[in-house]
Amino acid sequence: MRFRGGYDILLQGRPEGLVRPMPEPATLYLPLRSPRFTFTEICVRHGQDVKAGDPLARDRRNHGVPLLAPRSGRVNLESAENHTVLEQAVKLQQPSDPARKQMSHIERESGAAVMRQRQLLALGAWQFFYDAHTGALPDPTGSPQAIIVCTLGLEPFVTRGDVQLRSRLLNFTRGLEHLQSLLEYQPIFLAIPDIRSDFADIIRNRIRGYASVKILAVPLTYPYDNFRILARRLGLKRSNGPVWALRTEGILAVDRALTLTKPCLVRIVSIGGAGVVPATHIKVMPGYPLKMIKEKYVFEPVARIINGGILTGETLGEQTLGLDAECRGLTVLPEQEGREFLGFTRPGWGRSAYAPCFLSSLRQRFRERFSTGMRGEGRPCISCNYCEDVCPAGIAPHLIHKYLYRGLIDGAERARVDLCVECGLCSFVCPSKIDLRRQFFEVKQLIHDEKQAICEEKARLEAVREAGK
Amino acid sequence: MKSVLRLFEKARPVFQKGGRLAVLKPIYEALENFLFAPSTATTTAPHVRDPLDLKRFMSMVILALIPCIVAAFYFFGLRLAAMIAVSYMAGGTVEVLFAVIRKEDINEGFLVTGMLFPLIMPPTVPLWMVAVGVAFGVFVGKELFGGTGRNLFNPALVGRCFLALAYPETMSAGWLEPSSELVGRFFKYVDASSVDAISSATPLALAKQGEMCSLSHLLLGSVPGSAGETSAIAIILGGVFLLVTRVANWRTVVGILGSFTFLAGILHHAQSARFGPASWHVFAGGLLFGAFFMATDPVTSPTSNAGKWLYGAIIGSTTVLIRNFTGYVEGVTFAILLGNIVAPVLDEMVFTVRFWRLKSEE
Repeated sequence: MRFRGGYDILLQGRPEGLVRPMPEPATLYLPLRSPRFTFTEICVRHGQDVKAGDPLARDRRNHGVPLLAPRSGRVNLESAENHTVLEQAVKLQQPSDPARKQMSHIERESGAAVMRQRQLLALGAWQFFYDAHTGALPDPTGSPQAIIVCTLGLEPFVTRGDVQLRSRLLNFTRGLEHLQSLLEYQPIFLAIPDIRSDFADIIRNRIRGYASVKILAVPLTYPYDNFRILARRLGLKRSNGPVWALRTEGILAVDRALTLTKPCLVRIVSIGGAGVVPATHIKVMPGYPLKMIKEKYVFEPVARIINGGILTGETLGEQTLGLDAECRGLTVLPEQEGREFLGFTRPGWGRSAYAPCFLSSLRQRFRERFSTGMRGEGRPCISCNYCEDVCPAGIAPHLIHKYLYRGLIDGAERARVDLCVECGLCSFVCPSKIDLRRQFFEVKQLIHDEKQAICEEKARLEAVREAGK
Repeated sequence: MKSVLRLFEKARPVFQKGGRLAVLKPIYEALENFLFAPSTATTTAPHVRDPLDLKRFMSMVILALIPCIVAAFYFFGLRLAAMIAVSYMAGGTVEVLFAVIRKEDINEGFLVTGMLFPLIMPPTVPLWMVAVGVAFGVFVGKELFGGTGRNLFNPALVGRCFLALAYPETMSAGWLEPSSELVGRFFKYVDASSVDAISSATPLALAKQGEMCSLSHLLLGSVPGSAGETSAIAIILGGVFLLVTRVANWRTVVGILGSFTFLAGILHHAQSARFGPASWHVFAGGLLFGAFFMATDPVTSPTSNAGKWLYGAIIGSTTVLIRNFTGYVEGVTFAILLGNIVAPVLDEMVFTVRFWRLKSEE
């Protein structure tokens, strides 16, 4: 299968290729919720002193993935809702090693690979693993049919892969080696950009020696860095077992965990968008207070702060105080201001649009200063087909929308709404401003819940029948 | 402009629910959003939206029609202005009425229908007929199906088809001879009762009698015919603009013109005495206008790209068949309406195959 659709939104405020240091925070605010995890099981007491690397909380529903203390300090569970606050945080030379204690015991019970996977889990590296098809956390005791490693971050604006890799190339290749040791014969697919640059050539040369690492050149078009799209591109079927997927930060965490047996506490996070100056990368740890970032960088007075990229990220509300454990970047988007007079009649020299309906199509593609504005009224679908053209999954969003409009969920199911990867491009290009992404998200949830209910009901009936016998 | 905006803000409560004029909310909102870009912001991801909205999308069609309109004014006179005005008023009334009844927004799609309709009318058609035709088209062709985006047939063509069947005399006999002066009829109002309005036959009607007009006349548009359909150059100019802006899909146009040329070419090759050359037929009658502006209507054409090819092929070949083998001299209207009927079936076929193929992918 080839790559389909895709579109690059050229947005002002691309983070520069630098990593700027940030001051050490005195207090860390660790949100107990991140896109994938909800850390419900608190492992520490209020007022307890913890060392860097100690687990503060766990998510029982996700194989007990821990929320590690990024710094040593005193736990405060009461000062902020939905956060674990770490006060008097200090950076210690010797972080504690929670993994080693359990290791010898587990090693005897299971194989070496599973032991390493346990170690990754304990050291906070496992949270960077994704199931390529579902996006969930894979089972740390399982074994995949293949691993996809993606070095690209194409969504505007998440952390750029080249920034993460620069000066950490050695760690990266070592991490790949460790990854190989988790596998028996299964391949590792390394997705790198299909561009010719010195840096890309260095990576290619480094990788050449690894037998089980296969390189996949990916065009720099959003959302070809999506794991599900990559898995489909590689022909890795869901029925053949799970496919694990990692990004650059995952490989670096694996390297740190298995080479140094140290938890991965600090990471590079992008901070971009038109609402922040300068757009750059910063080196921070989970729980880093948003207030300190706001103090250091100039934010637009009225701006929306988004956790993640512009197309899939979630708005960070006032109640969120620190970066979550999975944060891939912050995007600051100015809110819409003013209403243009006769806006639709303007020549549009400064508008960067998908369809060449503005005068700007005569000039070279450029980065527009986008805001949160809807830029039009909601209208019925006119089947312009733009959504189908940009869809990377090969489905027809307008068709699914029409089924859903009529309440035909089985129609949407037949039209393969399950293949949607929620990249958000259809909603972006829609001239009728229909929120397709959210509709599909909701109906997928509905179908999922319904299927689960059916399964449970079947199991219940089965149990009743068994009891009857 | 700020004062105008303030005026709108002040008037809003009157049109809100419970206000005195709440019934007229669609009109108020249409006017407000016509003048000022809406102030709504995104709530969830994706947090940004493309600058293109439906107003701009539809204005692109109006822009693309400008060459045709200018040509129509040049050849057939100022009466077109009256026709456009009547068409907008009559069609607009139906549209607004339905928006008020349904409590929905007034949709921009009507602006296109109201402009397209007079352009496919004979230039001397009585104004009341324009009103009846466009009202019928918007009502039966669009509103009965649920409004913009849900209609099966192109509303303008439904209106024209209705008039062609109800008043065949006026719709196919009274053709205005185009202006032969250099300045054209930019400043003249010519209707059926005028002295210099000579009813004559369209090139296609003459061709049926074996009398072919020259190709240059067809290209320029100095032939009798529907107001906006005669000038091939103007249509191509606007049509290419539509294709470049991707408001119209090129596959439909290429499908129609390709299949038409192919089939007409075969006929001409087989019996050159009976059938005119394909290169002449392409520029005659309403084919180009239909291909660029009518068939490409995204709502009534198939949505899938493969469906668009088939749809084009059906329209193109049906036009050839109607033109050459039936009593009608022109068949584009019927061909496109036929295409509209099969469009959902074509989509169904294409999508069935697509989903069957997707099955093996993940």
